[in-house]
Parts: sequence; structure tokens; C-alpha cells
Amino acid sequence: MTNQAQAIAALIESARGQRPQSLDNREAEETLNIALALLVELSVANDRIDRLERLVAEMRGEDVATLRDIRYEGEVAEQRQDATDALLMRALRVLIDPRAQANE
Amino acid sequence: MKVRDVQHAVLPRTTAEEGSRQNAVVSLRRLLNSKVRPRNVGIFESEAAPAFAERHGRQPQSHEEVREAFLMSPGYRMWSAANRSAQEMIWVSVGEPTYRDLERMEQATKELIEADDKLGSLSLDSSYDPSPEVADVDIHLQPGGYAMNRSDYDVVSGALYECGGNVFSFGQGIGRGDSKAGVIMRLLNEEFDGFKPAKMLDIGCSAGAASAAYPAEWPDVEIHAVDLGAGMLRYGHARAESLGVAVHFHQMDASDMRFEDESFDLVVSHNLMHEIGEEKRRAMIGESFRLARPGGIVIHQDVAIRNQPTLVHEIERDWDTHFNGEVHWNTYATANLQADMIAAGFPEDNVVEHDLSALHGMANNRWYAISGRKPI
Repeated sequence: MTNQAQAIAALIESARGQRPQSLDNREAEETLNIALALLVELSVANDRIDRLERLVAEMRGEDVATLRDIRYEGEVAEQRQDATDALLMRALRVLIDPRAQANE
Repeated sequence: MKVRDVQHAVLPRTTAEEGSRQNAVVSLRRLLNSKVRPRNVGIFESEAAPAFAERHGRQPQSHEEVREAFLMSPGYRMWSAANRSAQEMIWVSVGEPTYRDLERMEQATKELIEADDKLGSLSLDSSYDPSPEVADVDIHLQPGGYAMNRSDYDVVSGALYECGGNVFSFGQGIGRGDSKAGVIMRLLNEEFDGFKPAKMLDIGCSAGAASAAYPAEWPDVEIHAVDLGAGMLRYGHARAESLGVAVHFHQMDASDMRFEDESFDLVVSHNLMHEIGEEKRRAMIGESFRLARPGGIVIHQDVAIRNQPTLVHEIERDWDTHFNGEVHWNTYATANLQADMIAAGFPEDNVVEHDLSALHGMANNRWYAISGRKPI
């Protein structure tokens, strides 16, 4: 039985030839590749959330648009805002890192 | 018969999540193709040519200089990097379900190709060493290439070709109802008085999608299909059997086929010419003439990248040669195919180039074909 990671590894390891670079900088090109792959994975995750929303809406006997329009105020809204702030801090950590660029 | 998105026993069974991933890659490629790539020619004028002029003190002139100029443009480089990345993600998105489901697919293949009541046949040649100009290259970055053959029931190359081809095509805006075989059947109806062959040949059949589409439309036709890859042919054979159509698959080189002279009423190839070099292409066209019966028709269909309006457009289209493993892309795009057909023996006055609309999809999706009729 081949698991998902093994299947992906089998595919990647079977590739041959060289990998021509388009950008001036190899690190930038590889980072772009990672960002685009994460964009695809975000889309996959959104599909999973969408499926769950539709199932929950069906179980509640309401329209999925109604379920998506649920808004929170007060304590719950503050909890969501804290979570959003933390997510941004984790993702953008390098932009607020106090350490100066090291010279060679 | 539809040829894209067809369900059959050898196709990897994708999970909903894998389907989402393939759809996301289609969407990414569709955006790059419809919104980003069309800016490249304009970017040549605004970024590439000025950058070249600043460095060299003159405008780019030759093929090499226009290419150098393009690569001096940040906008072009960013599109190129993103397009290469999206192409690689096609293969990840279809490779994961293929390798995950491979045990079942190989078992299904074994049962189909060893069935006593099968309709078609498979003839593999263990003494044939697939032509390195095709076999040694990961064409359009398909990992392992067209001739990968990992075991007696291996079908990976065929599965990757069919599934990756669908993700690629839908990302180009090609519709799910399009069919290269269908385009050729329409051409035969419109330009050749509804010609229907009794016996036909499909050269360079890859995973056999077009080969299976002809007998689905013409149940009485005897169709033979040739390719160099054992994994492709095995997949194509099992696919055709699963779909209930008779196709006879043979492992041969397109430039040297083991059929008697004048064996076929119709000889076709689909998207083959851009995958082979000049010498092999001329030999393949020569073989297509040899194998056609007097009065028979030969049609070589391929991608519509020929006859670009300017050198800048031509070099922009030539991206695939350098970044997509399509090493013969520009050789095909700039070849004098009419001269090849005439040199093979077709009379000059019946060799015709065709600019064909797709059966389905975006209006600007076209196919190229060149046809000739063997004199009686």
C-alpha cells in the first residue's frame, strides 16, 4: 500500500533532466514555487471547509448562505481578532524581526 | 465518444481532495494563460527591448537576441517562473493519485489485457529500444517520459499522460467536449466528402485516447495504433478494452513501421510532429505515404503554434523549448511541412494545410493539420 507521501515522492523522484531557472535568483524562484504550491493547498482546504459548511447547513435545515453570514460580536469577536492577529504575527514574523541584516 | 474526462477501469481513482488539487492547478494555469501570458508581447516592447538596447546599444534582431531580451524583462521572467511551476504542479496533482492507486490499476490492466474475450490486441517488441530523442526527455516535464516501463503491467506513463493532459488542456481553456479525433472526423466530412476508412492507422498514439475515439464513431473500422512506449501502449490497450472498443496497439518506431505497403485507407497522427526531430519527422511522413493505399488519405494534426505574425510572437511561443521539455517545439513551429509531404510523394496540388477550430472550448482554441491524398 502506497501512502500519499510515498506516492508524491515516487513522482518527484522519477523526474529527469535539468531545471532551468527564470528568475535572477534561485532562492527567489524556489520561494515562488513554494508560495504557488501553498496557494493550491489553500484552495484545497477551502474546498474542504465548503463541504463542511454545506453539510452543517443541511443538518441545521438552513441555506448555506445564511450559515456563512453568521457574525459574532463581543467576546467571540475578540477571540477571532486575537487569532487573526496571531496568524499575521506568525506569517509576517520576518518583517518585524528587530535584528539587523548581518554583513558577510 | 468524449476523449477527455472519460471514466474507465485503468484511470486512477482520485479522492475529493485530489480532485480539488487538480481543479486548483487548472484554475492557476487558466489565469496565467488568459491574464498574464497575453501581456508578454507588450512587455517585450516596454521592458525587454529597452533593457536589451541599454546593454547593447541597439535593438534585438535575431532569434537569440529576442530571447535574450525577453529574459531581461522582470515581467516575462516572473510569468516564466510561475508557468514552469504550474506545469510541474500538473504532474504532482495527477502523479499522487496515480502512484497511490497503482496496485489496483495494474491489477485492472492485467485482467483486461489477459481476458479471453477482448476486442483488440497488444503487440510489444522487447527487442525495440525506444528512440532516445523521445525516450530520454521528460517531454512537457512528464516525470519519467513517454517510454517509462517499470514492470510487466506498468501503466504509469499512460495514466500520467491522460490525466496530466486533461489538467493541462482545461487550463488552456480547451473544453471537455473537445477531441482531436473529432476534429479530424469533421475535416473528413467537410473536405473529403465524408470519407470513412475500412482500415486506419494512428501513429504516435500515446495513451490511445484518439485511437479509441475513431472506432467508437466508426464501429466497423479496423484501427491500428503505434507508439514507442510499452507503458503507454499497455495503458491504451486496457483503456480501449475497458471502454469496449477494438484497437490493435503495436510498439514500433514512427519512422520505421512493420506494416506492408499500402495497408491503410486513412493514416493519422495527433500531436506527434512537435515531439520528434526533423529527420524522424520526415521519415514518419514518408512512412505515412508508403502505408496509405492509392486514393487513401493522410492527415497529420498538431498544435496551432505555426505561422506566428512576428519574430517576437514566435520567440514568446518558443518558451516550451527551453522551459517545458518540448525540445522540438520550434523545429516543428518553423518547419516547411508542405515540402516534407511533397518529398514523401504527395502531389503538390493535393497537400493542404488546415487551420481548424476546436470542437468545444474557448473560441481561440485551434488545431493545425496538414493533409495529402495518395494518387490512385
